[in-house]
Amino acid sequence: MSRPGFVLEVDERTPPLLVHEGEGFRLQRFPMGARVVYPPDSLPAVRDLNAAIRHALLNPHGSEPLPELLRPGMRLTIAFDDISLPLPPMQTPDIRGRIIEHVLELAARAGVDDVRLIVANSLHRRMTPSEIKRAVGERVFRSFWPDALVNHDAEDPDGMTHIGATERGEDVEINRRAAESDLLVYVNINLVPMDGGHKSVPIGLGSYRSLRHHHNVHTMLESRSFMDPPRSALHGSAARMGRLLADHLRIFTIETTLNNDTFPKAFGFLNKREWEWSLADQANMLAAKKANEKAPARIRREVFRRIVSPYGVTGVNAGETEAVHERTLANVHRQQLVEVDGQSDILVLGLPYICPYNVNSVMNPILVQCLGLGYFFNMYLGQPLVRRGGVMILHHPTPWEFHQVHHPSYVDFFDEVLAETTDPTAIEAKFEQQYAQDPWYIHLYRNSYAYHGVHPFYMWYWGAHAMEYLDNNVLFVGGDRRAVRRMGFRAASSFADALEMARDVVGSSPRITYLHSPPLALTEVR
Amino acid sequence: MASLLDDVREVARGWRWGRRGVLPRSAELSSDPPPAKEFPTAWARTPAGRGAREAIQRFVLRPLVWSQTRPSVEGLDHLAGIRPPVMFVSNHASHLDAPLVLCSLPKPWRRRTATAAAADYFFDVWWRGASTALVFNAIPIERAGGGRRSTNTAQALTARGWNLLVFPEGTRSRDGWVGRFRHGAARLCIEHGLPAIPVAIRGAYAAMPRGRSWPRPGRLPVSVRFGPPLAPREGEDFGSFSRRLQVAHARLWDEDRTTWWDSVRREAETSTPPISGPEAARWRRVWEASRPIARKEPSRVWPK
Repeated sequence: MSRPGFVLEVDERTPPLLVHEGEGFRLQRFPMGARVVYPPDSLPAVRDLNAAIRHALLNPHGSEPLPELLRPGMRLTIAFDDISLPLPPMQTPDIRGRIIEHVLELAARAGVDDVRLIVANSLHRRMTPSEIKRAVGERVFRSFWPDALVNHDAEDPDGMTHIGATERGEDVEINRRAAESDLLVYVNINLVPMDGGHKSVPIGLGSYRSLRHHHNVHTMLESRSFMDPPRSALHGSAARMGRLLADHLRIFTIETTLNNDTFPKAFGFLNKREWEWSLADQANMLAAKKANEKAPARIRREVFRRIVSPYGVTGVNAGETEAVHERTLANVHRQQLVEVDGQSDILVLGLPYICPYNVNSVMNPILVQCLGLGYFFNMYLGQPLVRRGGVMILHHPTPWEFHQVHHPSYVDFFDEVLAETTDPTAIEAKFEQQYAQDPWYIHLYRNSYAYHGVHPFYMWYWGAHAMEYLDNNVLFVGGDRRAVRRMGFRAASSFADALEMARDVVGSSPRITYLHSPPLALTEVR
Repeated sequence: MASLLDDVREVARGWRWGRRGVLPRSAELSSDPPPAKEFPTAWARTPAGRGAREAIQRFVLRPLVWSQTRPSVEGLDHLAGIRPPVMFVSNHASHLDAPLVLCSLPKPWRRRTATAAAADYFFDVWWRGASTALVFNAIPIERAGGGRRSTNTAQALTARGWNLLVFPEGTRSRDGWVGRFRHGAARLCIEHGLPAIPVAIRGAYAAMPRGRSWPRPGRLPVSVRFGPPLAPREGEDFGSFSRRLQVAHARLWDEDRTTWWDSVRREAETSTPPISGPEAARWRRVWEASRPIARKEPSRVWPK
């Protein structure tokens, strides 16, 4: 049986602990009495995945079995999560491909001819053909690419349709093909509680016109946290949109959950608690650390890019969106939830090399901010792991570096917007429209592999709650000073220096908590 | 950027290379025990291993222990007429116990005696396991039970005529008195028809209690007393034989404290003092057990 999550109290027996820092990691000694939150051990994976998928499709929750929804002459659209999930990318065969094959098998038997597959990439960059092929599998790719297997284009004037507005006036605009289908099947990977549910279709296949109603500073400040859907304004808005959509469109949702087998065998020590490292793990860590430090940056990045996760699937559920998502969330909680007793004054994090928006790309400073203050800060239910007015210490080199193809608007956002102000509300009011409607960014989003012009704004808003809550007391250990300062934070040369700086804010004997992640842990702070 | 050497040093220090592994206190309940893997000890019973052990025990261990304590050994006459293998069953309060018993045994017995030692303590790192196996002819025993492989090793040894020295309390006494005997030793005796020879050690706790790595100065007296062999009865169960062993042990302890005659009389009257010590506060139990045992000087034939 897998062990539950665990909170360690550092004592003299505690070995140095592994801390991620971008494309690398360090061994860090923590002060006595510091708490370390470890995620639960990886849950056992479903043994016969094909049987589990079949069972889910034939025994859905709140819906007829999928074969009963398929008929000749119908328009069937299958949408699926894009490259932002899971992280790192999973070993092939990808669970999306396996599920899509089962759905198509049923569709073929039912005589459905009009089938379209859409990558639900929202305002993210388009997936490349090789990335799509990896996600859906060779058989699906060969059968449908390029005509009937496409990226979603939120800026295609003919490809979007306005469904209506929610009771709060929120525009619901989604992909026309999906909206006009007799059946939309959505295949999701639910890595964190934020994913899935009504967030899949209205956002994954939505447009800027629709997203601006919940991807804004106000909603982010009211989402406490956005990893806790019942307490998230973001999810509240998405749910209203999803329910409106469900009145117009038949949606069959298939959601999957993964276990915590995040790193492959060569990096197996990253999945373990340090005191349980064998001699081989210690040797592996030393070898990986030294090789990583000595390697040229290009090689290092390539090594990390090639990491694929041996994730196991812990559950497949299908049917009506809300009924399915309830079960999905329970599965995610089963894998990630850790109970923690009380908040701390200082929250320490090690930020890894990857976040949802830099797969096969570069983690630029805005994404570092988003990963730390957005994703990891919000990995809580109830109340944050750090108290209001506390300090966050993040480990990441935060290089001033951008992917010119993937993140063109990020470059300008960093150079122009953040140079003027770092206040999310001011940024939203003054710059968002300009970037969102910039024809060049729209052109790059539609025809190149660029994130939408408005995307860096959303990444900045993602951290708005943490910035306000912590009064911008965020320290980056080993961070590029210029880049960190540009974002309105401070850099420290070492963890000891960061602790000293933090003590100026929270007092001389602070309560320190280190969230040891990834693998992912979701804290429930009592 | 730290050098490779610095990193290796940090890991060696952090993970205590060559010493007992790390396990933070707060993680004790949530950590799985290390996978069962028995430390190999057969090499220590090869002719070369036996020769080296004999030399170490005879020329290093015995002179060392006898120079730091003042042992008196009694009851070896009980071994006369017994054919090995047997099981020596001793109380355990000090790291001195195994050297005291082994070095007290006559050479033919000592050469064919293996010692059951806690796998998690003596065999956790290679150098400690190797030295324990060599010096004491030790075999690893799982204290928590369930160590089928270690039981198999013990059975294989007794089947080949090796005697076993076991400490059935499973750990050294925390207060110097004798704790409850676990049934493993009794089970092995019954399954293989081995006679058990109780061995009472008194004074070892006073000489070198738990927490000390060297005997207290002053050559404190220690007593090692072998008792008559005790054989399992026909159809006797583990619990019953284990209880008889404890009673025999208590009588032997009493004999060492007083005289053979008095102890036998008290045994007949079922008034043998309990070896579990007085029912009192812990400090008083420790206090009593720490008192050096009375030195048994031979009575003077001629008055001063």
